[in-house]
Amino acid sequence: MTSSLHATPSASSTLAVEARHLVKRYGDLEVLRDVSLEVPEGSVTSIIGASGSGKSTLLRCLNLLERPNLGELAIADEAIRFDRNPQGDVVGLDRRQLQRLRAKVSMVFQQFNLWPHFTVLGNVTEAPMRVKGLSRRRANALAEHYLERVGMADKRDSYPAYLSGGQQQRVAIARALAMEPRLLLFDEPTSALDPERVSEVLSVIRGLADEGRTMVLVTHEMAFARDVSDQVVFLDRGVVGVAGTPQDVFEDSEHERCRHFVAPAVC
Amino acid sequence: MNTVSQEGLLDWAGPILQGALTTLEIAVLAYAIGLVLGLIGASARLSPWAPLRGLATAYSTAVRAVPELLLIILLYYAGSQALTALIHAMGLPGQVAINGFVTAVGVLAFVQGAYMTEVLRGAILAIPKGQLEAADAFGFSTWARFHRIVIPAMLPNALPGMSNLWLILIKDTALISVIGFSELFFTIQQAAASTRAHFLFYAAAGAIYLLMTLTSTALFARLERYVRRGQPAQEEA
Repeated sequence: MTSSLHATPSASSTLAVEARHLVKRYGDLEVLRDVSLEVPEGSVTSIIGASGSGKSTLLRCLNLLERPNLGELAIADEAIRFDRNPQGDVVGLDRRQLQRLRAKVSMVFQQFNLWPHFTVLGNVTEAPMRVKGLSRRRANALAEHYLERVGMADKRDSYPAYLSGGQQQRVAIARALAMEPRLLLFDEPTSALDPERVSEVLSVIRGLADEGRTMVLVTHEMAFARDVSDQVVFLDRGVVGVAGTPQDVFEDSEHERCRHFVAPAVC
Repeated sequence: MNTVSQEGLLDWAGPILQGALTTLEIAVLAYAIGLVLGLIGASARLSPWAPLRGLATAYSTAVRAVPELLLIILLYYAGSQALTALIHAMGLPGQVAINGFVTAVGVLAFVQGAYMTEVLRGAILAIPKGQLEAADAFGFSTWARFHRIVIPAMLPNALPGMSNLWLILIKDTALISVIGFSELFFTIQQAAASTRAHFLFYAAAGAIYLLMTLTSTALFARLERYVRRGQPAQEEA
């Protein structure tokens, strides 16, 4: 952690994510306007909010699939400060640091994004072998372990296209776990699933929360978010509307749009 | 001893098979090099760096616009003259004639590369974005992303076009006969002229080309089944 983050040493040692004053624009559209976020190690944070509030963009900034235009990020011991050079390009990141960071932060996508040309086992072993340089034997052992963990070990030789959405998403979770990441990101992991498949994925995620893994979720499953989260962040038009415990956000919030948004889940 | 007029198909079988083999060698080599050129060309066409994009666009546009026969003749003569001039400039005496085989492979590969660039570019653009994003999110290097994800993911889209290019290439090798290099077509022309059994030899040539293309069509079909192994059968249109 560098001094540029102005973080107190005691806080920085226990934070998995420390985002300060993130700004993200697409042309004239400001999707994130000065968003700060802290995620302690071993905690679960849910980001909720209406469509277009910037919650997916914020999540994607945490593994830099989106580059913030301004702000500072410290994630898994990688500190990055985003700024603009005189030509107006976003600076503050080199390729090696980007790959280092991404090897420590795994993402589970809304549309699963499994690689269709690899089997289930191949999907899970690929990143550990190519990115972390594990031998095939070690990667296989790791993959078997995590496929067992998500209940997909018997499908190891199937191709993704032959699995249901819920099964594909569980494989995608095993793929993320096999990197043994410091931080797990979930981008609306159940939004593309048939309703009867949602619970099998949520129960896997709940199990990971119970293990004390550090996770950030973007979700529309309000009851689930309220249940598993240590921290809930209500994002509203690119700024943090309310952040706090599930109790703070779902029950005690004075923020009108937040109260309106969570109302269906509260009653 | 046979007189010239009594020569038949059997007398020419050896040279014709040799010519057919040469044709295959030219085609396979030109295809392999063309594939590499196409991968480079497609990557350049999709590069964020404008000068590289421009260069690749110029290559694929210009080469596809000029008749291959003209390119073969141009490279053969211009190439010979340029090399001769180069050698004279270095103070060495002599004339350089470019080897016919090298010309054949070089020109056909250069042309294949241009068409391949467009086939592969389209196939890469058709890869669902999420698969590439997943590779990015896991921290794949550019090379790992390219050969582990991009190539296998684009192959199902690219193979029908690639198979087409291979068939066209086999037939285009016949153009090489204009520079007097004895591949299949040139040998057949000689045999036909020598025996005056024109129909027999040109029909034999047709049969040999047909055999080559049918065999390779079957191979491409198997290859396509392999690269589509992860896709349920009903997705094949």
